[in-house]
Amino acid sequence: MPDITNPIVNSEIKKLPLTWLEYSSSKLNLKHEQVKPKSRTRTQSQICASLPEMLQCIFLLSDSGEVMLEKQLTGHRVDRSICAWFWDQSISQGETFKSLSVIASPTHYLFQIVRDGITFLACSQVEMPPLMAIEFLCRVADVLSDYLGGLNEDLIKDNFIIVYELLDEMIDNGFPLTTEPSILREMIAPPNLVSKMLSVVTGNASNVSDTLPSGAGSCVPWRPTDPKYSSNEVYVELAEEMDAIVNRDGELVKCEIYGEVQINSQLSGFPDLTLSFANPSILEDMRFHPCVRFRPWESHQVLSFVPPDGEFKLMSYRVKKLKNTPVYVKPQITSDSGTCRISVLVGIRSDPGKAIESITLSFQLPHCVSSADLSSNHGTVTILSNKTCTWTIGRIPKDKTPCLSGTLTLETGLGRLYVFPTFKLGFKIMGIALSGLRIEKLDFQTLPPRLYKGFRAQTRAGEFDVRL
Amino acid sequence: MFNQFGSTAETLSKASAVVLRIGTDAHLYDDPEDVNIAPLLDSKFESEKCEALKRLLALIAQGFDVSNFFPQVVKNVASQSSEVKKLVYLYLLQYAEKRPNEALLSINYFQKDLGDPNPLVRAWALRTMAGIRLHDIAPLALAAVSKGARDPAVYVRKCAANALPKLHDLRLEEHAPAIEELVGMLLNDHSPGVVGAAAAAFTSICPNNFKLIRKNYKKLCQILPDVEEWGQILLIGTLLRYVVARHGLVRESLMLSLNGMDTNGFCEKDDLVRDLTLDKEDGGKSDSFDVNLVNAVSKCYIEGPDEYLSRSSCPDTVTSGFDSKETTSIAHNEDVKILLQCTSPLLWSNNSAVVLAAAGVQWIMAPLEDVKKIVKPLLFLLRSSSASKYVVLCNILVFAKAAPSLFAPHFENFFICSSDAYQVKAHKLEMLSLIATASSISSILREFEDYIKDPDRRFAADTIAAIGLCAKRLPTIPTTCLDGLLALVRQENFAGNLEFVDGEAGVLVQAVMSIQTIIERDPHSHEKVIIQLFRSLDSIKVAAARATIIWMVGVYCSLGPIIPRMLTTLTKYLAWSFKSEAPETKLQILNTTAKVLLSAEVDDFQILKRIMVYMLELGECDLSYDIRDRTRLLKKLLSYKLASHEPAEDSVASQENIAVHVVEHIFGKKLKPFTPLALNNKFFLPGSLSHIVLHAAPGYEPLPKPCSFVFEEHDQLLNLNRQREAGAELDGSQESSETVDEDGSSDYDSESSVGSEFSSDEMMVSNDASDQAAPLIQISETSVSADQEELRSKRALDLWLDDQPSTANQTRSASNSNQSSYAKISIGDIGSRVKPKSYSLLDPGNGSGLKVDYTFLSEVSTVSPLHVCVEVLFENSSGEPILDVKLEDEESMKVADSSEQTLVGNANASYNNVPTLVPVEEISCLEARQSVKRLIQVRFHHHLLPMRLSLHYNGKKVPVKLRPDLGYLVKPFSMSIEEYLATESRLPGMFEYSRRCTFDDHVKDSRMENGKDKFLSICECITLKVLSNSNLHLVSVDLPVANTLEDATGLRIRFSSKILSSEIPLLITITVEGKCTEVLNLIVKINCEETVFGLNLLNRIANFMVEPFSLTN
Repeated sequence: MPDITNPIVNSEIKKLPLTWLEYSSSKLNLKHEQVKPKSRTRTQSQICASLPEMLQCIFLLSDSGEVMLEKQLTGHRVDRSICAWFWDQSISQGETFKSLSVIASPTHYLFQIVRDGITFLACSQVEMPPLMAIEFLCRVADVLSDYLGGLNEDLIKDNFIIVYELLDEMIDNGFPLTTEPSILREMIAPPNLVSKMLSVVTGNASNVSDTLPSGAGSCVPWRPTDPKYSSNEVYVELAEEMDAIVNRDGELVKCEIYGEVQINSQLSGFPDLTLSFANPSILEDMRFHPCVRFRPWESHQVLSFVPPDGEFKLMSYRVKKLKNTPVYVKPQITSDSGTCRISVLVGIRSDPGKAIESITLSFQLPHCVSSADLSSNHGTVTILSNKTCTWTIGRIPKDKTPCLSGTLTLETGLGRLYVFPTFKLGFKIMGIALSGLRIEKLDFQTLPPRLYKGFRAQTRAGEFDVRL
Repeated sequence: MFNQFGSTAETLSKASAVVLRIGTDAHLYDDPEDVNIAPLLDSKFESEKCEALKRLLALIAQGFDVSNFFPQVVKNVASQSSEVKKLVYLYLLQYAEKRPNEALLSINYFQKDLGDPNPLVRAWALRTMAGIRLHDIAPLALAAVSKGARDPAVYVRKCAANALPKLHDLRLEEHAPAIEELVGMLLNDHSPGVVGAAAAAFTSICPNNFKLIRKNYKKLCQILPDVEEWGQILLIGTLLRYVVARHGLVRESLMLSLNGMDTNGFCEKDDLVRDLTLDKEDGGKSDSFDVNLVNAVSKCYIEGPDEYLSRSSCPDTVTSGFDSKETTSIAHNEDVKILLQCTSPLLWSNNSAVVLAAAGVQWIMAPLEDVKKIVKPLLFLLRSSSASKYVVLCNILVFAKAAPSLFAPHFENFFICSSDAYQVKAHKLEMLSLIATASSISSILREFEDYIKDPDRRFAADTIAAIGLCAKRLPTIPTTCLDGLLALVRQENFAGNLEFVDGEAGVLVQAVMSIQTIIERDPHSHEKVIIQLFRSLDSIKVAAARATIIWMVGVYCSLGPIIPRMLTTLTKYLAWSFKSEAPETKLQILNTTAKVLLSAEVDDFQILKRIMVYMLELGECDLSYDIRDRTRLLKKLLSYKLASHEPAEDSVASQENIAVHVVEHIFGKKLKPFTPLALNNKFFLPGSLSHIVLHAAPGYEPLPKPCSFVFEEHDQLLNLNRQREAGAELDGSQESSETVDEDGSSDYDSESSVGSEFSSDEMMVSNDASDQAAPLIQISETSVSADQEELRSKRALDLWLDDQPSTANQTRSASNSNQSSYAKISIGDIGSRVKPKSYSLLDPGNGSGLKVDYTFLSEVSTVSPLHVCVEVLFENSSGEPILDVKLEDEESMKVADSSEQTLVGNANASYNNVPTLVPVEEISCLEARQSVKRLIQVRFHHHLLPMRLSLHYNGKKVPVKLRPDLGYLVKPFSMSIEEYLATESRLPGMFEYSRRCTFDDHVKDSRMENGKDKFLSICECITLKVLSNSNLHLVSVDLPVANTLEDATGLRIRFSSKILSSEIPLLITITVEGKCTEVLNLIVKINCEETVFGLNLLNRIANFMVEPFSLTN
């Protein structure tokens, strides 16, 4: 018999659930009840018989919650009042809701991603892989930002026809149809200055292609059949990001590299390439572009592929357990009777051999800080109204160690600081891949004439957290 | 002056903005209605049309309804410009369902586009046509899709595959087999792009039709890596379902290996597990896998969590393992091996959904030692977009719950970044507390220390809860944790007024609760900690935290040597502070004091009793209802205690004894270790939406039951059986139809021509005739037979094809000189062999022995021209009599009165008021083995949709569906060949539709071998088939005479009819092509003003012509 007087037993059920999983289930329960009866009234066989569509509708919302565009994907239309519901929720629940990618609304399941202030919202009423919806929305956002040269409210409104045409090609009856950027580019011409001018002058410029792109049906759908270039060029770049966590004791808790092999290929015909690394064993895990053949990698760790035309990401990889970071950050804070003294030193720990550029340090001042007075001996410090503080250092000078120092005034009644900010470090190093991954060679099955091969590398800071 | 400059700069920037927006469609979006759109749509310039359409789309984008432009837009579907076409399609799909009649106008253009040499045009037309979603055009769309499915262009085939779910969504049950067949065909396509789309269609149309998969299973596995990513996601799921349904789960897999452990093969399995745990550094066996949880997970996958949970309430069944027959072993099963092989490279996919789907397969099917290869790819997914991170974490959490050892070495991956969203942070915390091991806990705790100082206090509170969980799981660390937590509590006290700070209270409460959780495990060794907490009571101000500590006073009041001595002081303090406490704390103080009083020693009893009395007095006049109630309750319960003078003094009265027991039960019980309720024991398949929202989303299906899909040998056997049954049924139905004829003959009217409208004696005669294999079709030049036939044909079958038999031989037709080389023939008593097809309304299996079949009659209804006569045969195949059999329209039940009115009154005044079903008289009793027929007249709401009826018998009500047969929604319309040709010439062009189909009944017809004329038997077969399936009048049969005997090309059969509802004439011409002895190609042509009806009937005819031959003899 449970002890009914035990407040913990009771409150544990209510309060202790520490995860969103449980939290959301209890919180969203009400909504589930509303969704469920609908499904219960149907019999099982009817459900089986009526699940054609994956996604029913896609909405594009501006950062003020305005519905800029709706695209109904199936006969089961979704009323745009769902967006009003969504926006109300996201205002009342704030950031927590915005970062929730799968939402059960009273009538639909919603999937959302936010890119550059634009919310992409997709609705479904039936079981479907949620990651598929999210990945697809990401793909839509990628393609749109590629076409429009960025994403914002004006760009989308100005080019809404292209957005419609693209969406129509990308998804059919709620299931992705053509998402390969190179084919889309052939089907629907991206807006450019020439076509704009042409449309002003003649008033007539179609951006819809009359013919089916050859890649759409081939076994290498990512490549147009026969591109022609006068000179054959291929550039391989290792673009790496360093993720690190330095804890409050100044210890490097985690340090790893997330890297991508990016290729820009302008090759005629149907080239078959092989890329091999000098030290593939350091790779912890990897993901490949669909053009990469699995077998050669499985057997001798070489990348064999027919490249798409233009720029693309061939693979991404991770290298873990690095021992060192190129830059160190040493924050110090002392607080006493309502004011804190803060000083942060930034310097080079291990010289990578190349210049470390655009070093920035940003952090969020805690809520209890009422005012801050910060200055640095190098670079500029800005504090925004939302208490985000950014210190732009650039390159580290040879003669001195950059230092940020100043005082923080706490809200009245607080003796000392009890929560501490986390510094996010940014930097960029051109010409080096910090993971140590080296490309051995790039081979062609049949060497095209006038071939130019180029290699380069760069490393940026990714999720680089230094805790105070 | 500066102002001027400023304004100039402003205008300049405005100007530049305008320049930038030139050439875009910005102005169209901003002011879509600043010009009149309608005239632009009618413009002859493509560019103006284009602009108008863009404006309409802008209005759609902004949420306006512009469907009133529909007719004008539809006209533009014929445009040659691809952009106009695309825009029109976009518009059309938005509104087609709203404006069905206008949408039909576009069909012809789609038909034309479907034949376009440009694959893109074909694909667009196909996509749009299938997307229009109108029942009327569904047969056309289906025809277009099945053509598209054979298109040479991959892209078109892919679009065809995508179009199948659209058609399926219209729920045209008569087309369902055709659609499934197309899915099967497309799954077998050699192009990976098509297979992907077909897999999607399969998932949505017939996810359990594993027969389609079985045929192609190996091929699908091989093609899987080449399928495009979206198709891969669904194909992986389909293959997994198939393998489970076919072979069951794998014995070596995680799902089962632990399941069977306690019953058989204990040692062997145990070794396996230990192997796995050994290479995971350390951690006891209990850490590596949670047996019960794995068991629950696998059951949930198979049965669906709701079913599982409801079942698990009865404890016996929970432990029952899977039947060993329902499992398979990877060593012996090729299918499983291939599945695992082909999905494992997909763990490297760029698409996170593919990775997760592949990981799901490995998780469920892979042998225990291979499961760990999903770990790194899954962890890599955490580096992808923040939106997918959350979903991935939700999935990893379940994996980690069931098998923490998999993820234990990778704990750093779950360290929290400042940029993570709150939910992600919370999930990561839960992961860390799940997978912490003795070796990693120190690093994890150090991380936790950092998190406690995070500005997000909700997160800090969660961290503290996680510390509590870690301490609970790992026996070695509680002391470390407790020190830290106590320091935290003290520090929070120190800060004094922190409770006013946002979220800080939560941290403190959580800290106290975590301490309590740790103490609970072993209160005796933590006595000092408890005392410390009691001491801090003075400085802790947060009500919830105080309440928890006070509760602990009550629970641990007799623990160890020190605490009992503190009790009087403590209770005094509590009594003193009672007035200023929050309600929840007050309640706890009351409870605690009661508990303390009960366990009090002799020395303190009097003091405690006084305190209790004091507190009860205070509580009785509290402002809160709850507290007053609780006080009264306690007062009553404790009255015996309060009256006594010694704690151990037993009251004598038995009445009061009960109170003692009650009190003992409520307050005296020692605390039982609290086992966390399994709140979250609902598990859904990895990667599913249901898993994220934690309820079964509509359409969620657990894995199929293991081995529910029978082996192929069995399958074939079944097929054989089914065929045999079908044959038996066929015999039965023929018998029954004969009884129908005999009984119902008096009802028949012999006015209408073809069909079964002979009087019964004629029927018998003709049956005899056919038994004697008399020539049924005779060349009309044999005038003797012609005369004989004439008698009958005048009355029944107007089979004389020409009124001048003497000239027939001359092969001349007055109206058509170019078709002169045809003989005219008469077909004999074919009507006798026409057996209307009977459909089943109720299966005896479902109807507890009542079997109901129905047959369409060729009679014309007497109620109204909208009604169709249907004969319903009720047959009792059970041994018991069935009472009160009655057939009713579902809707008329609601308005029973009105139906009677209309029956009597104005039958033809307004068809809308006519009942949909003219009720039949009730059959009061149907004896065993008795069969009774009833004639009903039905008005179908739509010529394609079934009508819902309810069948009553034995007091039960069963919903049944009466499907219309298009062939009987027409009535025979007698006309001569000249009239026929004249009518035909009036209905050219858009009123004429034709379709090809094949016909092979004559090949199977045994009479062919009897040396009979081939042409004649072909004619006979075709006519028989047509007349058996529809209510038509046979006008003429043209035979090609000039051609060789083997070649049937040119044979032409004409039928005429009128549509029942509208009296519009409808002409059907069937032209034959091909060799007599081979399968023939038929061209069926329909001329009718009512095009939609005509098209549907055309498809119906084409469908039944290819149906297997079953109705002769």
